[in-house]
Amino acid sequence: MPSIGSSLALALAIAAPSLAAGKGADLPDWQPVASEKLIKLPANYLKKSLDHDFAQSALALAIQDLDSEIGLKGQTLDDLRTAIDQADGELQVELRHQFLAQKRKFITLMKRKVDLRQRHMETKQRALERLLVKLGQAKGAMTPARVQLVAQQHQARERFKGSLAKVDLTVLTTPTVPESKYAQEYSANMSAMASLGAAIRQHPMNNQPQMAGRPANKADFIRQMLADTQASIAILEQEQNIFGYMAKLVALDAMALSEQVMDAELTDSDVLRTAGPAAAVKYFLN
Amino acid sequence: MKQALKKVLPMVAFLTACAATAPVQADTLANMERERALLIETMLDGEISPAERHLRLERGQRRLLDLERMVLRDDKLVGRNTPKVRQAFANYDLTFLVHASVEKNRSMADTWLGQLGISTQNLMSAKQGRR
Repeated sequence: MPSIGSSLALALAIAAPSLAAGKGADLPDWQPVASEKLIKLPANYLKKSLDHDFAQSALALAIQDLDSEIGLKGQTLDDLRTAIDQADGELQVELRHQFLAQKRKFITLMKRKVDLRQRHMETKQRALERLLVKLGQAKGAMTPARVQLVAQQHQARERFKGSLAKVDLTVLTTPTVPESKYAQEYSANMSAMASLGAAIRQHPMNNQPQMAGRPANKADFIRQMLADTQASIAILEQEQNIFGYMAKLVALDAMALSEQVMDAELTDSDVLRTAGPAAAVKYFLN
Repeated sequence: MKQALKKVLPMVAFLTACAATAPVQADTLANMERERALLIETMLDGEISPAERHLRLERGQRRLLDLERMVLRDDKLVGRNTPKVRQAFANYDLTFLVHASVEKNRSMADTWLGQLGISTQNLMSAKQGRR
């Protein structure tokens, strides 16, 4: 019987999944752009736009391919397990060897998938952070002076609305000066804008996103997406730990199998059994 | 020297063309302030007759009214933290002269002079002398 024990252990040990391998090595990419267009989109549509952009990227395709491979590998593992239960002797040992090798490959595939998903989440996190920065730039930093200015402008508009009717009555009814073109066209445009504004407000795509049952602005919604992404990254890091344990188990199973094989070899082999000196004393006694 | 000019002149011409074709942004606040300045000049012009002044003020008031409304409705000015915008909205009565004067049932000249602290009582009690 060929001695496969030592070679088995050596092969599995050397070929153990290298969990410390560099993540960035030849991983497909996704490069979303935090453009002005994304900032102007409604919050719900922003999320869908990012997801759609990712779905069309090389990274998403790679994850999909890996999912298929993992599914097939899982089936292989099931088939091997069934075959091991039905086999015995050398065939069973060989099948167990194959089972360990396939488990190693399975872990490698799962690890690669988690690396890709981690790249996805990290890229999404950076994109959301860039969006938040751009949103802040678009709105401008609300310094105390700016806050005061906005308050004064709001008060001015309220005061203007309050005096609008009186001013129209007093100034615009003067017969000597005709009504200006601005005044005529403004009132015509206002009614059109009012009806269009009402249609926009009632449009289903214009519904403000809700968070905890309350309407949320775009910055809050993006922050929530960022928090969810960071939580996903934490879960993925935990999954990396799981693969470490799986790899350790595979290594231990390989060692157990090689030990078992070696024990079987020793039992069958013609190992010389040497007797102790007590049995040879009779040759030295007269 | 000639070669340097050959390189610089086309660039200058290009930049000038860009500046010339750059879109001019309508500054509603500057237009309103210009019109208000013209109106105040008319108020203070001593060389025109009262009837002429009244007519010019009436026409100017209508133009200034429209410009004031354009400024008050201009969303681009909201939060634009420049010294000009801050100064404009710091004093509603001084900036939006037509609306403030109609609110208070006073003439534009009275409203404007009142904001500057010039009243009949102040003028009557003014004395000439060294500060």
